Amino acid sequence: MDAGLLEQMLLGALLGLSVYLPLRCGQLSLATPGFFAIGGTVAALLSTRVPALAGSGSTYPITSVLLEMALAALLTGVLALGLGRVVLRLRGIYLAIATIALVEILRVVTLNLEFTGGALGIFGIPQPFDSAAGYAAFTLALLALICWLCDRLEKNRPGRAMAAIRDDELAAASQGINTADTKLLAFVLSALVAGITGVVAAHFLNSWNAKLGNFDASITTLAFVVFGGSRTWLGPVFGGLLLTALPELLRPVGDLRLIVFGAVILVGPLFFPKGVITPELFKSFKRRIRGTPTAAAQGVKP
Amino acid sequence: MKRRLASSLAALLSAAAALSACQGSEDQGPVNLSKGVPVGAVLALTGNANVYGQDQKIGIELSLAALNGAGGVNGKPLSLSIEDGGSAEPSANAAVSLEINRGILALIGPTLSQQSFSAGPIAQRRGVPLVAPSNTATGIPEIGYFISRVSAQSSVIAPLSIAKALQLNPGIRRAAVFYAQDDAYSTAETVIFQQALTAKGLKPVTVQRTQLNDQDFQSQITAALNQKPDLVVLSLQAMDGGNLIRQLRELGYRGAIVVGNGMNTPNIYPICQKYCDGILIAQAYSPELQTPANQRFTAAFAAAQARNPKVSPIPPQLTAQAYTAMQVIGEALARLDRRQPLKGLPLAQARKALMAEILGGTYQTPLGEIRFTPEGEVIQKNFFVAQVRMNAGGKSGRFSLLP
Repeated sequence: MDAGLLEQMLLGALLGLSVYLPLRCGQLSLATPGFFAIGGTVAALLSTRVPALAGSGSTYPITSVLLEMALAALLTGVLALGLGRVVLRLRGIYLAIATIALVEILRVVTLNLEFTGGALGIFGIPQPFDSAAGYAAFTLALLALICWLCDRLEKNRPGRAMAAIRDDELAAASQGINTADTKLLAFVLSALVAGITGVVAAHFLNSWNAKLGNFDASITTLAFVVFGGSRTWLGPVFGGLLLTALPELLRPVGDLRLIVFGAVILVGPLFFPKGVITPELFKSFKRRIRGTPTAAAQGVKP
Repeated sequence: MKRRLASSLAALLSAAAALSACQGSEDQGPVNLSKGVPVGAVLALTGNANVYGQDQKIGIELSLAALNGAGGVNGKPLSLSIEDGGSAEPSANAAVSLEINRGILALIGPTLSQQSFSAGPIAQRRGVPLVAPSNTATGIPEIGYFISRVSAQSSVIAPLSIAKALQLNPGIRRAAVFYAQDDAYSTAETVIFQQALTAKGLKPVTVQRTQLNDQDFQSQITAALNQKPDLVVLSLQAMDGGNLIRQLRELGYRGAIVVGNGMNTPNIYPICQKYCDGILIAQAYSPELQTPANQRFTAAFAAAQARNPKVSPIPPQLTAQAYTAMQVIGEALARLDRRQPLKGLPLAQARKALMAEILGGTYQTPLGEIRFTPEGEVIQKNFFVAQVRMNAGGKSGRFSLLP
């Protein structure tokens, strides 16, 4: 088993969740790679420029990684809080455009700043784990934690408020939901997830540069959610895992692999317009388990 | 509902594990020689660097044919597996891991320096010799013991063309510099060009920044031409650089043009056409080098390209360097096999011994005679400065070696 691929898949799943969180509120934000890049840059800078974090052992201490995560979360959280107030006044495609602008601004700033290494980026990032398996275990724990939080979010009050805004913002507001704050919460949570993921990715990739958080990444991460489904947290996780793994798994196909990959992305939304994983899928699954096979088999809706 | 969370998580994890388990790993045990002596290559065959990867693929395959034609590794053929590393870091990392898991003895690639900064540490950790055929950024061999390269870094090559331009035209006083600020190669090389210019007393009168995907350079060119330069120095890739030269000439610039390694490919001819004529470039490889190794290589290249009359029969530098990387590995393997037969040798030990063998050797390659420093940096005897000479139609041309 190649733990390196598993790690990339898990990072994909985390980024999928980051795009999914604002979508829970019906907000199409493409800012995820921007916050991802902030997290990665914070980790790259701290781990290569601050000797105090390096520790005395042969590997980079995990506590330092956690500290970088805390700092990245703080930075992305504050930025998302300030920015979200402004950009979340926009809706739909206008919000998408504004968040693309954010990603571009961050990319150009990174390219032009001396201390982020310009286009070459920062390399020689120290390793907290000896092998990819260590990264995979760490990221798995992180993913499980965030999945649990997302699962909670589907059931608690702010989460239900988000779902209400997604279904009808005006109706939600008339029910006394503070739509501005709820949307902001989802945006900030999304930024936190992306920022923390960036920290892990920077260590895992050994080097960091502005290309890793560009517009292409916005589209790729959006594809995770569109493909997997945006109604439950399982959708983006599934989409992230599968779509990250697919180009690698298709290697035996040879030169055609990217064409096949593109076809899969195209066919997914065509046959599963709501994404592969939907709440209905769970319901039919549950029915089948509970022993009403006839109803499910005949496709009778209760 | 808690059960649902737990069960869905468990299902996901097993699915993820199953997906990633499709790629096996075999670091232990002896070298697997059943299909030949295993060697891998990770090249940028897709993405925006794909033209480089395609050039390299030809070189590696020609070198493989030459090595196997001459008996392979003491009678055992070399078996090469080429994987696409894309033009980004995660894809290069995945391809490098995949190759290493296949049990290869040595690896050629990745194509881009940025990819090596990311994937090199993986090869270093796993103890696999990696020979980079085209990385010119500073700091590649410094990644670790197992990382070496056959491509001389730009700090060695780039200043030569400036010196040549001044030798051809000692009257040059005002230099203008262009580079793509979002491209790693470009930003790294322009620093070296600017230092070389300053060292010659030609502090650039203007430094213009472009973007890798730009098509239109009118504003930067106008700004530069206002400074009345008599030397223009470009650190750009083939596509944007070719376009810029074309527009530069069309806007009336008549002075000397020096370009960097990114335009060191015949792919520029169709882009700037007749305007390519006269540009100066420093090269780590010249097809006009008269050595037996290079004559064998150019003949093999011309024979391979003869099937397609549209492409040039003259090999570009990237192809020569990739050929050299494969040759270095092949010759080092043969020496190692004579000293310690590969059959039965544990894989990890064979890789380590091979690295020592690679670094210890001297190689007669198309690039001329090369050796390595203990760190893995290439020591190359000959460097060249060429001038592009376009044929009458402006469709084809050649890099003509300057004395």
